[in-house]
Amino acid sequence: MNFKNFIMEHKQAFLVIFVAILLSPLFAIAADVVGYSEPLEKSAEHLGAEENPIYGGILPDYSVPGIDSPAGTFLAGLVGSAVTLIIMLGITMAIKGRNN
Amino acid sequence: MHIPDGFLDMNIAVVYYVLTAIVIGICIYKIKKDGIDEKRVPIAGLVAAGIFAAQMLNWPIPGGTSAHFVGGAVAAIILGPFLGCIAMTSVITIQALVFGDGGITALGTNLFSMAIVDVFVAYYIYRALSKKNTKIAAFVAGWIGITLGAINTGIATGLSSTFQYSIGTTVPIMGIWHGALGIIEGLITVSIVAYIEKNRGDILYNSNKGKTMAKGEKR
Repeated sequence: MNFKNFIMEHKQAFLVIFVAILLSPLFAIAADVVGYSEPLEKSAEHLGAEENPIYGGILPDYSVPGIDSPAGTFLAGLVGSAVTLIIMLGITMAIKGRNN
Repeated sequence: MHIPDGFLDMNIAVVYYVLTAIVIGICIYKIKKDGIDEKRVPIAGLVAAGIFAAQMLNWPIPGGTSAHFVGGAVAAIILGPFLGCIAMTSVITIQALVFGDGGITALGTNLFSMAIVDVFVAYYIYRALSKKNTKIAAFVAGWIGITLGAINTGIATGLSSTFQYSIGTTVPIMGIWHGALGIIEGLITVSIVAYIEKNRGDILYNSNKGKTMAKGEKR
């Protein structure tokens, strides 16, 4: 598979993904303003359950350590989408195998 | 809906890891058996990357209870249940390993909620209802898929000691809140599916043409 052809053939999909990543810092800021809290967190709070983080990740909480929040969120989104694309392409090709 | 480390008892976490591994194994077996067309490979990658990006958009809902799009129904409708499950598995595993979203011990449980329950429930609802109306089918698939996924999260946490074994509390909290927030999931799902149906109907999964094939392909 030629990389340039791949992008050209699916440029609309790449554009949609890029726009979502571009918007993600705005959503992160807006969620911060209203106090983002998922139902699971409500349930945990209600019953007094506490997290016990044993691993923070390479880019913790969709941010890049040392880069301020909106730019960090954007970069984390870019890296995450690229990694997901590559891994899923790899897995699908591996399952597909050579013979079918 | 991503359970962090510390919420689950270890035996619960292990049971979900085993169940999830079995289902993923079956998915890989089914995909291999049915075969994948060359054209499906880039679509599988793009659907996974798109769902990752869409999950970064947290809907800010005033009042302090929010959520984000999960995407199991979108994966199921475009890729079919088996490849859709694998796509969601990639997204959720990367979120845990790279971004610390969802615990390492809870990964099996989180995959079971979002890559298995959400995907398969959404797929079978879509398949049953799409004969009548594909838009209603996509909406209900997105809505109910996410709600049942959330209920599984409620069951897993509610069976654990940190949640005081209060399954009678965790399941209603997860089910009712995600049942309400799931309407947004349904609306996003129907928008995406309607758009693809109109512009690239050929890429939507068609169960009559082999499990991982799209409408336009021949076996």
